[in-house]
Amino acid sequence: MKKFAATTAIVTALGLTLAGCGDPSGADAGASAPAEWADQNADLSGVELTFWAAQSSVSVPEEVAAAFEEATGAEVTIEVIPDSYEANVQTRVATGAKPDLAFWQPTPSMLTAINAKNNLLPLDGAPWVETMEPSLQDLTGILDGTRYATLVASPSVIGVYYNKDVFAANGISEVPQNVDELLTDARAIEAAGTDAFFEMAGDGWGTQWFPQMLLADDAKAGFWDEVNAGTKTFSSPEMLDAITEYDDLITEGLFNDDIKTATFNDQGAALLAGEAAMVVQNNAYMTQLQAMATTDELDASIGFFPISREGTTATSIPDQSNAIVAFNTGDAERQAAARQFMSFWMGEGYPTFVESTNAVSIVTGVENSPEVPQLVLDIHATLTDTAPSMQAAAVANPDLWLNLVDMINDVKTPEDVAKATQSQFAELAKAAGVAGF
Amino acid sequence: MATSYAPAPAKVKRRPEMVTERKIHPWWFLAPAFAVLIVFFLVPTVYNFVYAFTDWSSFKSQINVIGTDNFSSLLENGTLLKSLRITLAYAVMVAIFQNLFGLLLALFLEKDSTVNRAARVVFFIPVVMSALAVGYIFQALLKPEGALNQILSFVTGQDVTIAWLGSTTWTLVIVAMIHAWKWMGLSMLVYLAGLKTISDDVMEAARLDGASSWQMFWKVRFPLIGPAITFNVATALLGSMNGFDIVQATTGGGPARSTEIFNIFVFRTFGQGLYAQATTMSLLLFVVVAVLAFPVIGMLRRREEVL
Repeated sequence: MKKFAATTAIVTALGLTLAGCGDPSGADAGASAPAEWADQNADLSGVELTFWAAQSSVSVPEEVAAAFEEATGAEVTIEVIPDSYEANVQTRVATGAKPDLAFWQPTPSMLTAINAKNNLLPLDGAPWVETMEPSLQDLTGILDGTRYATLVASPSVIGVYYNKDVFAANGISEVPQNVDELLTDARAIEAAGTDAFFEMAGDGWGTQWFPQMLLADDAKAGFWDEVNAGTKTFSSPEMLDAITEYDDLITEGLFNDDIKTATFNDQGAALLAGEAAMVVQNNAYMTQLQAMATTDELDASIGFFPISREGTTATSIPDQSNAIVAFNTGDAERQAAARQFMSFWMGEGYPTFVESTNAVSIVTGVENSPEVPQLVLDIHATLTDTAPSMQAAAVANPDLWLNLVDMINDVKTPEDVAKATQSQFAELAKAAGVAGF
Repeated sequence: MATSYAPAPAKVKRRPEMVTERKIHPWWFLAPAFAVLIVFFLVPTVYNFVYAFTDWSSFKSQINVIGTDNFSSLLENGTLLKSLRITLAYAVMVAIFQNLFGLLLALFLEKDSTVNRAARVVFFIPVVMSALAVGYIFQALLKPEGALNQILSFVTGQDVTIAWLGSTTWTLVIVAMIHAWKWMGLSMLVYLAGLKTISDDVMEAARLDGASSWQMFWKVRFPLIGPAITFNVATALLGSMNGFDIVQATTGGGPARSTEIFNIFVFRTFGQGLYAQATTMSLLLFVVVAVLAFPVIGMLRRREEVL
């Protein structure tokens, strides 16, 4: 009898637990509520807000949050989510934990990955949008016509960082104006005994920038829209040619000899030391260089230029530390406060933010920090003419770089890379419910 | 062995003992432990089966049952089989290295001298160390500009810059050795316990029969530590099938995914928000480990039967 009772108890307990089976991150909600934008300085005494940041971006909101606390009486706690940031945030949100605000890559694929429609607050009618630089207002942060994220800093771009001394030593006085000129210069530098390019297949993720740079003109012409629609794939000539050319250039010897094991750190050191002439990277590399050298040293020796096959189109790739989102937590008071913090950050708090992070201002009427290196201004200036990166325009974000690392290690051909990336893209697009996958 | 005499009286004694035990310890004393087991082990395992048949992901709130879709798309995808092959190779290598190192250590440190006791403690330290710490330390040692190459450069007088973790063929072997190094202390302890149970009489009889020291080891002691071998091989093999931390810390699955064992593959898929697919993979890993465990343990058990 006792045994029976015990068994029944266990079965019931199991049944009850299983009945609770479901995604705890919450039912459909949020999108319908009209956004109310409180005054930037409205009193928020007693309201506590949580802000999630990555290891690399934790110091970014510190000063502006302190200014907000002083102006409103709210309390902002900045919480570091360990790397890999995106995966850990997604996992936490899936288990029901949500902050009020967080850094998030504002691209459609990453907004889909965090299920923006249910988990994030729509930002339509945000008062700061029209104060932003016109070219940045609608650049990113929008999914299916609804704004979910706002840029706070100049978004990342892919381009070529070069060592001015190495260029000068090889008699190159003008930066190349298209890929053909770039390769002519690269071959001249390589022939003179310096590595033309430095790549980091040891860490790996940086490998995806070179092919995307070669793809820039096609990306601008709408290549990713066709991939999203399923009318083109990673194996279509545009992408496959870019991958193949990258592979050929590596085989030709235009890259560092330790390409297979070199890391992101090595990449920074090599360009500063002039061991390599050029590095194809995004703004994460800028941060890396700033950590390794002073503003004066950078202004003296490192330059930046955008490039594409036919011209000088940069490729835009907004990343996690460039943008913030607010979460649909279900607590109306905190949601309104989170929106108010965003208005404050992009409004009265913006000068504080720009000054404390040595950043370029993206709000008209707010001056850049005087400490900004020329290099950062050059990078920011390229934003007037950009092509979208895979991350910015594709509906899903496959691990192109992992497959490229396989190729650099001679275990995949360019065709294999394209095929494997496409298959992962299709899998992610299917999970995201994209029509046709 | 036909001359078993011990069990018979024991059987007679056992019953009354059990009855008293039951009176002293009512079944519900088990409840707290059982509750923890259910919540943290049984329920997740059941969920592991349930979610594998759904489309759970970070992309949407609804979780729909989609049948065996996840399984078929995983089987079509070559990455799964490749990961499985790498995992098996890794587990077999770990089992071999860990037992070889452990047995050699146990034989060297068998005598109970002070030096040996201290040495045993030293070799046991890696077992209690954090696996991630071990992984990161070895990663630093084996870098092209790491300590190992610096030592080699010093000894050979040339500049050695071998990328120890850079080969798509040999890195798996090196990582398996690191795993074995970390756990060899535990194998050593189990082998030592096994060696201690061999009675001196048996050894003396062998010596009197004129057995050489090699014969004494191979024909007498090795068969007699059968249970220790079963335990060590099974735990090393099945434990390393579930490996993750050491590989993640040393190579992260690289170079070119040549060390991407199953759990790293699961981790990567989970990180992309494809929770159902990741669950399906871990279910498959569970099945593979279970399918492997029974024959391996059965085979090792049969070996023991000669005792």
